[in-house]
Amino acid sequence: MQTLNMSKGFKIQLSGRPDHSLIHLPEPDTVAVSGLDIPHIRPKLLVKEGMSVKTGTPIFCDKRYPDIHYVSPGTGQVKHIIFGARRKLWEVVIELSGEEEFESFPALDRPGLDQLPKADLVKQLKQGGLWQCFRQFPAKDVADAELEPPMIILSLEGNDLFSPRPGHLLRDREAAFRYGLGILQRFCPRIIITARQSSLADLGNLAAEVTHVVDDRYPAWDPGVVLYQIKKDVADNGAWSISLQHLLWMAQFLETGQFPTQTLVTVTKPGARKPHLTTRIGAPVNHVAGQLSDGDLITTGQFNGRIARRGSHMGFFETTLNVLPKGQEDEMFGFVRPGVAKPTVSNTFLSRLFKKPMDVDNTLHGEERPCINCSYCEKICPNDLMHSFIFKALLADDIEEALSLGLMDCCRCGLCAFACPSKIELTQILSQGMDTHHKDKF
Amino acid sequence: MNPLKKLFDQLEPDFTHGGKFEKMEPLFDATKTFFFLPSPKNTILPFIRDCLDLKRYMSVVILSLMPVFFFGMYNVGLQAGLARGEAWSFIECMGFGAWHVLPIVIVSYGAGFFWEILFASVRGHKISEGFLVTGLLFPLTLPVTIPLWQVALGISFGVVMGKEIFGGTGRNFLNPALTARAFVFFSYPVSISGDLWVMGPDGVTGATALSIVSQGTESITTALSTQGFGLLELFVGTVPGSIGETSALCCLIGAAILMVTRIGNYRIILGGIAGLLITATLVYLIPGGTDTWANAGPLYHLCAGGFLFGISFMATDPVSAPGTDTARWIFGFLIGFLTVILRVANPAFVEGVMLAILFMNVFAPLLDYLVVRYKASKRIPNV
Repeated sequence: MQTLNMSKGFKIQLSGRPDHSLIHLPEPDTVAVSGLDIPHIRPKLLVKEGMSVKTGTPIFCDKRYPDIHYVSPGTGQVKHIIFGARRKLWEVVIELSGEEEFESFPALDRPGLDQLPKADLVKQLKQGGLWQCFRQFPAKDVADAELEPPMIILSLEGNDLFSPRPGHLLRDREAAFRYGLGILQRFCPRIIITARQSSLADLGNLAAEVTHVVDDRYPAWDPGVVLYQIKKDVADNGAWSISLQHLLWMAQFLETGQFPTQTLVTVTKPGARKPHLTTRIGAPVNHVAGQLSDGDLITTGQFNGRIARRGSHMGFFETTLNVLPKGQEDEMFGFVRPGVAKPTVSNTFLSRLFKKPMDVDNTLHGEERPCINCSYCEKICPNDLMHSFIFKALLADDIEEALSLGLMDCCRCGLCAFACPSKIELTQILSQGMDTHHKDKF
Repeated sequence: MNPLKKLFDQLEPDFTHGGKFEKMEPLFDATKTFFFLPSPKNTILPFIRDCLDLKRYMSVVILSLMPVFFFGMYNVGLQAGLARGEAWSFIECMGFGAWHVLPIVIVSYGAGFFWEILFASVRGHKISEGFLVTGLLFPLTLPVTIPLWQVALGISFGVVMGKEIFGGTGRNFLNPALTARAFVFFSYPVSISGDLWVMGPDGVTGATALSIVSQGTESITTALSTQGFGLLELFVGTVPGSIGETSALCCLIGAAILMVTRIGNYRIILGGIAGLLITATLVYLIPGGTDTWANAGPLYHLCAGGFLFGISFMATDPVSAPGTDTARWIFGFLIGFLTVILRVANPAFVEGVMLAILFMNVFAPLLDYLVVRYKASKRIPNV
């Protein structure tokens, strides 16, 4: 077991960590397949409103790879197909009928898995709606099954600071986990398993499987950060990654031949300690998040998620809902207050003297200003990017320069824009640069 | 609701698009946001943001300037009292100092804000907080006897030619406050020659430390001490000089505030001090010239003149300094180096720090370029 030390990253404590209890939520009325949490996808619908679907029925596919299906996590009737601006597919809402019927696939025991030809395994995963769990660096697009990845990074942690802890996900699932490792071995001999220092104690026997222990500081466990720290040459750039929950689903799907329906999620709120929740994949946001106040902003990752509108549903890739309360919008003489409770990575508020977890809110804390070259972005970036030079290159349309400075190493953790005192949308600018570059390849 | 907030809300329609005073929107906005820190809701990831913004950032610089500012006022009074041969109390010194320093500061802010507002209105963007610092830094580099019209002209040049014509804050490659001082320095050498200026309105003149040249055989340090420029006086700052530059102690306090809060980059400050000390020691070790500043030794070079003021407050301006850490060390070091070289080798400009910083400002992009290319070459390519 190796330890990866990250000197940068997010060094302050936030409140809102979920506690260790576990609650099973009642079955929701509707579920949805969201199109908003899937990077780079160009969805092509396979169903119409009013159609009946089973659990595992394909709802849409990706125009670029029509054999990769995105499937229904429940049985019922397609109620709404919701489009956003420019006919972007937001979500396909399915009203649950109460009975569960599955699209069935061959069930494979462990020897069966090992003997199944790789092409058939890929095909089954693609049709079953789980192949997209494999993401391929650097753009984090869906993995290309034709390629042999240099390594597969299995991160036991989620995208957010307070995503479900691996101890909960792996409780009584040791066999499924080992089965999952068997799946990974079919694709690549080099499997990197990472966990946070604080998670190790909860893993029991499985702690021995962890190959790289990372700091407890966000975003040390992000596969992009892990890859940046361990990669040795250019070939490693094409690594794949998968999250623990997805691997367990994949294992369950192959073992039983049925699409898994249950997911473990967390709801976080500054100052509160909420339980871990199990619910159906694609459950409604209101069903999971519970009571909400007016000014609250609901996101699926404080740093790197998306805004989840009320009445919408969680996506296939999302395991956390953050309830971010409204902040004080016009604070009188805000710029000279000592600030004993202001979350900041700078040393300009007294809050830096205290170690207690800080409450965050959903406001910008200032206004956008020109870049003053202060390097706060560079000092917090886990992947040593020089944002002030990269974003200027991107704004000047000089993609070559941005790439030579390591643009594609960006893991979209959001810390640069978090720290920027000029409130420049660095993460968005870099993200769009990466996406544009990735799109150009097609 | 807060009555002040109510007032702003009532006035707002007049100042926004289509209102009576539409053109004055940046001024209204700057006033309003001075009282009420704006904080709109996030719509773009990340959805939580750091509490530090540029207003806070610049306020910390202003805070770090306070020791220098107040000591400068006190020292103006003290020197005026000494020149008259009277022993003034602390209150009298502060009163006299405030009476002569505050008009300079007010003119500097007034004239500078006029240009800031003009450019912001025409360009339709918000007034940048950076000028709060420029408007205070510039007066502190001036002698108290400077005519006010020169202050106005200087800051106008600094803001317009040093910053706005390049596109405003964030795009200027020279420090605007130093550009303003350089303009006054070269245009009106009588007022601000750096070697001799008038203390107080009564026409009493006094030399500054850097212009002292020893007579005959005595060494420079003896000459300095006999004329009231001992190391202790230079360190504390009770000597004639520009308003803000005399006290090494107060500059160091300011530098400490900047370094602890990480608003000023410690690499520039420490690099600069190291550059100055090393160069001054090397120059000291060269035999001969005991009667000139070449032989003053590192501590005199550190405490005399405006070096500490310049390296702490001017060189750390993030916009005109380099944006990479290695380049910041080099940038600071070379400022220290050039300051000593200018003081020792160039009798035309006894105070070298202003020119050293402006010179290195010009080279900052080159230093950055080299460091960025080097760092990029060390990355594993990912295209």
